[in-house]
Amino acid sequence: MWKYLLEKEFKQFFRDPGLPRMALAFPVLMMLVFPFAVSMDIRNINLAVVDNCMSKESSRLIEKCTSSGYFRLVFHGQSPDEAMRLMDNNKADAIITIMPGFDKETVSGSGFPAGIKVNTVNGTKGSLGSRYILQCVRSYVGERNDALGTAVPPAADISEKYYFNPGMDYKLFMIPALIVIAITMITAFLPALNIVSEKEAGTIEQINVTPVSKTAFIVCKMIPYWAIAFFILTACLVIAWAVFGYVCRGNILWLYIFTVLDIIVMAGLGLLISNYSSNAQQAMFVIWFFAVIFMLMSGIFTPIASMPHWAQYITYLNPMRYFADAMRAVYLKGSTPAELWYDVAGLAALGSVMVGAAVASYRKTE
Amino acid sequence: MNTEYAIRIRNLVKRFGDFTAVDNISFDVRRGEIFGFLGANGAGKTTAMRILCGLSRPTSGSGTVAGFDICREQEKIKRNIGYMSQKFSLYPDLTVRENIRLFGGIYGLKDRTIREKTEKMLGMLGIRDAGDRFATDLPLGWKQKLSFCIALIHSPQIIFLDEPTGGVDPETRRRFWESIYDTAGNGTTVFVTTHYMDEAEYCDRVSIMVDGRIDAMDSPAGLKKRFSAGNMDEVFRTVAGRAVREE
Repeated sequence: MWKYLLEKEFKQFFRDPGLPRMALAFPVLMMLVFPFAVSMDIRNINLAVVDNCMSKESSRLIEKCTSSGYFRLVFHGQSPDEAMRLMDNNKADAIITIMPGFDKETVSGSGFPAGIKVNTVNGTKGSLGSRYILQCVRSYVGERNDALGTAVPPAADISEKYYFNPGMDYKLFMIPALIVIAITMITAFLPALNIVSEKEAGTIEQINVTPVSKTAFIVCKMIPYWAIAFFILTACLVIAWAVFGYVCRGNILWLYIFTVLDIIVMAGLGLLISNYSSNAQQAMFVIWFFAVIFMLMSGIFTPIASMPHWAQYITYLNPMRYFADAMRAVYLKGSTPAELWYDVAGLAALGSVMVGAAVASYRKTE
Repeated sequence: MNTEYAIRIRNLVKRFGDFTAVDNISFDVRRGEIFGFLGANGAGKTTAMRILCGLSRPTSGSGTVAGFDICREQEKIKRNIGYMSQKFSLYPDLTVRENIRLFGGIYGLKDRTIREKTEKMLGMLGIRDAGDRFATDLPLGWKQKLSFCIALIHSPQIIFLDEPTGGVDPETRRRFWESIYDTAGNGTTVFVTTHYMDEAEYCDRVSIMVDGRIDAMDSPAGLKKRFSAGNMDEVFRTVAGRAVREE
């Protein structure tokens, strides 16, 4: 019986006008486009400088900023109104205002008469932008002090060393997370839609009136999507290695094992959704609801630790939180499931609840 | 197990909230009989039929289908019946052969048996050339014949047909009923709902459902005599005219 059902599902899958192409295009897009698109590295910050000093010192500060590579100088003049207008029109992201007497005061060490205004409509760009400016200012002050031999010691000498992702490469950080998103979408939401569309077409009734067991029907329905999930995982790993030279630090087997755990949770969720939806529109809405919450509350884009406490509690119910954490840890740090017992436990607990609820609510007989 | 009756139903009730779709019906269907299950739209025919097929649980009442309990042994019932729903419900993106193979496999037939049956079926349907066409591309009359054959693939004791001939021309309907006769002639019990009163004449016995109850049940000849009607159409209008429930 299984053989015939599987045969049916695979035939239908490959005959679908969109699905096979999507399965192929997904890993390619994910690896070659998204890592750049979702990068939180901020570059090309448009900088306006209101220079009321126009001295050698002020132009050294400006050169310090522009040579950092983060800034694009869009205005250098003396009119604060002009600079403000640029910011109002979104042409400038930050304004440095250098006061008259900047050169004398900085050289004498009596002060630093300059101000920074940052456009924080885009909060990330704004806060990173102001940090970059401060860095430039700091390094300018440091160099000038060295040059003058001033005895002013730097306030603090902090040296930083980054582990696991030394270049702070955002792409490397996002690749495991993007795999997580793809696998979740494919193993939870596509089978749910597939089952609901059989409900709509009435074909599921023809199956329900046969002695087919519900387990056989559902598992056969999901197997093609599981196959795609593993295909996508493998393809993504290969592309990440071939194109960017990234390799998984840990044992690749653990990536697959966590994927299996996630698939169990997602299969339960997908089945639950399809049990309670009578048409594709309903299912789509529920899917959209879960997809957005899963992604935003997963720690993939924003760190969970910086969420408010009540929001952190919600993330405990989010399977993507555990899966993303585990995949990143294995890929970037080389962690093992024993070290990630917390993620294993989270996925296992959610999995048993979801699968239990799904099986209990699935009925061949109403 | 009573060998005389294929279906025995006693005091069957199905309620959806406040609405009583099936209101305390009782009837027996003999083996090999063609039993017509009539009623206006919304009278409760499909609901009752879904209970008999094990797709729906009765609110109360008891009964057996093919010798198995309708409340507890739905899965055993399913092994012994065929069902053709009023909506075409084979897989549109599988070919005719693939649909036959799928349902044959589901009922546990061997690959070789399936292949033999497929050829026999295609020959019987006169659509041998259409075997590799997608089910969705077939004309309606062919789709219905195909659904009928597939419902019979595992030689069930009883076949349930829910408005099997809706929307096709009289000639196609007549030929469809010939196959129903052949099937009944082989000893299969046929339980059929229809809106066509000329088809009701072909049945051994008919019941007429009104507002969830069975208001009349007899052979077509018996009913015509009782209601002093010239044909089943008049009988149906007299009986179904009593309905108070809205469609």
